[in-house]
Amino acid sequence: MESQIKKIHQQLVSKQITCTALVQEKLELLKQNTYNSVNSLLDTLALDLAAKVDAKIANDEEIGLLEGIPFGIKDVYMVQGTYTTASSDLLKKYKSAYTATAIQKLLDAGAIPLVKENCDSFGHGSSSENTIFGAVKNAINPELVSGGSSGGSAVNVAKEYTVFSIGGDTGGSVRQPAGYNNIYGLKPSYGRISRYGLMAYASSTDCVGPLAKSIEDIRIVLNVMSGKDGRDQTSYVSEEISEASVLESKEIKTVGYFKNFIESEAIAPQVKADFLASIEKIKAKGIEVKELDFFKSDTLVSTYYTLAMAETASNLSRLDGTNYGNRIEGENLKDTYSITRSENFSEETKRRIVGGNQVLSQGFSDAIYLKGLALRDQISANFDKDFKEVDVILSPVTPASPPKIGDSLNDPLAMYLSDAYTVGFSLGQLPTLTVPQGTVTGMQVTAAKNNDATVLKFANFLKDTL
Amino acid sequence: MSKIMTVDVLSSIKGAKPSEAVNQLFDVIKNAHPTNNNAAVNVHNNAVSLDDLREDVVIESSAIEKQIIIENFPNEKDGYLVVAKVIED
Repeated sequence: MESQIKKIHQQLVSKQITCTALVQEKLELLKQNTYNSVNSLLDTLALDLAAKVDAKIANDEEIGLLEGIPFGIKDVYMVQGTYTTASSDLLKKYKSAYTATAIQKLLDAGAIPLVKENCDSFGHGSSSENTIFGAVKNAINPELVSGGSSGGSAVNVAKEYTVFSIGGDTGGSVRQPAGYNNIYGLKPSYGRISRYGLMAYASSTDCVGPLAKSIEDIRIVLNVMSGKDGRDQTSYVSEEISEASVLESKEIKTVGYFKNFIESEAIAPQVKADFLASIEKIKAKGIEVKELDFFKSDTLVSTYYTLAMAETASNLSRLDGTNYGNRIEGENLKDTYSITRSENFSEETKRRIVGGNQVLSQGFSDAIYLKGLALRDQISANFDKDFKEVDVILSPVTPASPPKIGDSLNDPLAMYLSDAYTVGFSLGQLPTLTVPQGTVTGMQVTAAKNNDATVLKFANFLKDTL
Repeated sequence: MSKIMTVDVLSSIKGAKPSEAVNQLFDVIKNAHPTNNNAAVNVHNNAVSLDDLREDVVIESSAIEKQIIIENFPNEKDGYLVVAKVIED
């Protein structure tokens, strides 16, 4: 698909449409939608901003490319004065006091925020069913899950309720719902976009990630949000990725894929067959394809969840109802803490906090947590070795099609294992893009850390190849 | 004197118990054999260099930020946050 941002920009500039009419239309679609993709609408703010864009156009003033473009925000980002619930009971009435850096950059560029989007509570889930706002339904088949945790964002983009949305990806939370709803979703290199104002899940893999219907829109939004931010000291300076550079993929000569991902018993026969057929088409274009060895899926998933649970137990310890949140008074301070947390966290969130405290506690940290860190180092070293041999690694996004709504909540272990193909790239802090091609839930394109441009280039090549 | 704290106390979640699904994940790690058990040699060095620390200055919050912080107080009296009495045990 062509760039929706550029198409709408042209329509606004040539006065074919007004920004107010565009925003009203999208707000109406969001209000009436039955996919449970919306936590709250930002209608007053959006219409005020749209009127300002219309006034500029009426005065023949120049507008920027993102000016007047409506977008959605996963409900884990701070936007000053708006509710930021993390789809949880604890924060259902919490108002952001400030705005996340990534979102502020989009606002400064003139983009118009329409909606805070439904997701798994605190990012804890792979189906967007772990939410107080109702399970998010898949855009293609509403009986299936939307994927998660950024499910509402993926559905809003797929249904064109938003032009693009900003999700968050810790272990696959942008890439997997993008795959389930057949759109593009990028997890940039860790640190490329500031995490300031993104509610922390697992700080060492949390990434801000755009979802959109075209590679060009992903590129535009990525460029605007990237950059060093003093408020997130893991962020770094990065070069802008030009449109021309994405169109040129000749430098990509060698592609790899993990043999054990494809030979796994867990992969659905159709996903395997479609993936291998895609590999053949790539070979036919003269690109060398190498089979690579990698860690077993259960090692990847277990390493990821060990570290993510440890980090989320620490990050969420601040949520005790003292300064904000739905406090439930007990007999004393400690009692207030524990009643507030017991009553307001979902079962999945509690499971992860407890798991995190288990692995961090004395006697367990050496056997599990520190070993998890050592495994992560090995996984990263493995990637370093692979990227000396190949330019890009391809992988399915998920082993199978989306499950039916209700199935994942009954089987948490199966849900964790369904993340087998996404979590490794998170541990490596690598740039990975889901493209809506290749298998029923798409394919992931991954490059070495900081080579986000390579990922977009190869996605562009795949668009014309598959 | 050492005091053993159970996960429900550590997590401040009443009646919390370890889950079977999560324990199965941990068992995989327990049985794994990393070639290097020294996690101090961490390739993920995301720490900022000493030359690049942000300035150690107090940044005053805006009036709107302060107002929203007060709005978020779970219990408020005369503009102050009301908290439970701390009982040492």
